[in-house]
Amino acid sequence: MTDRKLFVVGVNHRTAEVAVREQLAFPDAAIVPALSRIRERLPAVSEAALVSTCNRVEVVGLATEQPPHPNAIAEFVATERGIAPGNFSSSLYFFEGREAVRHLFRVGASLDSMVVGEPQILGQLKLAYSHAVAAGTAGPVLHRAFHRAFAAAKLVRRETLVGYGAVSVSSAAVTLAGQIFDTLADKTVMLMGAGNIAELAARSLKRAGVHSLLVTSRTFDNAVALARELEGTAVPYAEFKSYLKLADVVIASLAVPEPVLQATECEAIIRERRYRPMFLIDLGVPRNLDERINAIDNVYLYDIDDLGAVTARSMDEREREAQKAEAIVESETDAFMRWLDGLELVPAIKDIRSSIERLRIDELERNQGWIATLPDTERTRVEALTRGLVNKLMHRVLVALRDENADASQQLYAADVARRLLCADPENETELLTFAPDESGSDDDPSQN
Amino acid sequence: MNPIWMIPAIVGYFVAALGYTTSRLGLAPSGARWGKFALAGGVAAHILVLAVTALQAGNIPVTNLPESISFLSALTALAALPLINRLRLIVIGAFIAPFAFIATTIAALTMPGQRLQMPDALRSAWLPVHVTLAFAGFALFVLAAGVSLVYLINERRLKTKRLTAPTDERMPSLEKLDRINYRLLGMGFLMLSLAIVTGAIWADATWGRFWSWEPQESWSLVVWLMYAALLESRLTVGWRGRRVAALTLVVFTVLISSFVGVSLVTPGKHGGSFG
Repeated sequence: MTDRKLFVVGVNHRTAEVAVREQLAFPDAAIVPALSRIRERLPAVSEAALVSTCNRVEVVGLATEQPPHPNAIAEFVATERGIAPGNFSSSLYFFEGREAVRHLFRVGASLDSMVVGEPQILGQLKLAYSHAVAAGTAGPVLHRAFHRAFAAAKLVRRETLVGYGAVSVSSAAVTLAGQIFDTLADKTVMLMGAGNIAELAARSLKRAGVHSLLVTSRTFDNAVALARELEGTAVPYAEFKSYLKLADVVIASLAVPEPVLQATECEAIIRERRYRPMFLIDLGVPRNLDERINAIDNVYLYDIDDLGAVTARSMDEREREAQKAEAIVESETDAFMRWLDGLELVPAIKDIRSSIERLRIDELERNQGWIATLPDTERTRVEALTRGLVNKLMHRVLVALRDENADASQQLYAADVARRLLCADPENETELLTFAPDESGSDDDPSQN
Repeated sequence: MNPIWMIPAIVGYFVAALGYTTSRLGLAPSGARWGKFALAGGVAAHILVLAVTALQAGNIPVTNLPESISFLSALTALAALPLINRLRLIVIGAFIAPFAFIATTIAALTMPGQRLQMPDALRSAWLPVHVTLAFAGFALFVLAAGVSLVYLINERRLKTKRLTAPTDERMPSLEKLDRINYRLLGMGFLMLSLAIVTGAIWADATWGRFWSWEPQESWSLVVWLMYAALLESRLTVGWRGRRVAALTLVVFTVLISSFVGVSLVTPGKHGGSFG
């Protein structure tokens, strides 16, 4: 009896620092060649995929017998990346059987992500799968495992709020803008300075439908370059205050020692705007905008900590939703394991069927003498009768073996008994005698605890 | 008419209030969906009762305070329906449904068994026009006050930065609330102006003078001037947002206390004694 097992070996953002992860991470182009070498290096591995993102490097595989020692796989990865395996062996995690399936599903559903519920991981997992398909290392079990992981992720997204709430500064900016303004289509954003996060926030607002974008920077050339990139208009820094009255949203990330906009100036601007609301996002450290501005009517000032608090609250919300998602992953894992266990029955069923079929043909041949004397119609009837008997018998065996209520070890034990009862082949018999039901049952015990 | 006939409307409003508040509090996300049907059902039942009463009495049933309150809550709930369904201002249901429930219940409980006799002088075609305009204006001001309250709550949350649970993301934006408030105030003001004009024409035809400075008239004028000032500040200075929402609530408080106060304390023609 073969004992095929899924396994996962890898490191992620929780077990390994970025210094380790960046060494291990595979460039896209290196994945397919690495996979095509994995089978000759590790003969026990029959199917394999390699997941490599900035937060995790994992080998997902199927072992024909006992899975290879995690260190052997780590060694393989280390050789492929040209580093010493000792660097990260303490950061490795290893899952096999049901735990490995559950891990793969959790990764796909974004429950194992640094930001729980972030949507990119599913795409990255799909990429890993397509690499494995290209390398020819995705067999029937991995095909199914990945497809079920994608389906589980979809289900989690539909049934829970795990992907909701702003968890990044730029999505918080868009969410807050949506609570102040009815539509962004007639709004203008002013980007002051070109910090990374500020630029991301401006891009997000643009994607959310912002009508026009003004860019100012202390170096005018930078403003022009950024404006061109974001399809906005550059404004000279010396005149930015006179343009502020046009801006409904301001994103500031200037490197300045003290605020460039005072509350009194802002009051004048809001009057000029006839009290149309303004949303000011101050990402500068030290802050670019006077904090008393928030006290002005119809002006909403959020600094980097305020946005951080907004994202932290959404994160908490996601954690709560993640519990619902875990339950979905559990039941999807169960369904996959049932399928995998059914796969284990296939060889036994084949044996039993061929054994009974041989019995039928033997008996027909033994009685060839008198059967041959029968008229043609009678002879086909006798043959049909034997075939009918075999099918009826096989049907009962199949129904009994595929019992939905039985767990994997019970099914395998029943398959073993059935094979012993129905197969006369002495060669098979010796192999079967080595099989004890407890052995396969032990896999399932941890999950039942 | 026996107030027992108001029970279906009251039940409808109660179920709607339950649906909208539970959905607002995040207890039953589908609450707003059945709340909508309950509110529409309550309005239909309420208008049916009012129509039957009007047919029996031969005119609009607003001869005393309970009848007026009942008429007002029916109009308010009716006007809230397009706000909820067309403008997707679902959150207003959490204010209007409880308002309609409480107001209609109070009206039913305090309804006198005997209707006031309507003198012949008042049996005029002007009565339904004048009264409906006045109460429609009143209903729109109730809605404006509800919208302003939502505005102030949301504005507070944005200012103090206590927000962004997933339920908040589905809340109407401040800009939208402000715009709807402005429109409601504008329409309410128009109704109130027309009510005052029709009332004056009718008074002139019946008593020979446009204006007699009785309490309801004076207070209506005060309220009319206050709403006029509110709208004017928006048109000329451009006031909007929190200040307008707060002032809407202030003027509404004056409106509702003058309405109740005049009816209870100083009855004139509007209070039910038609001399």
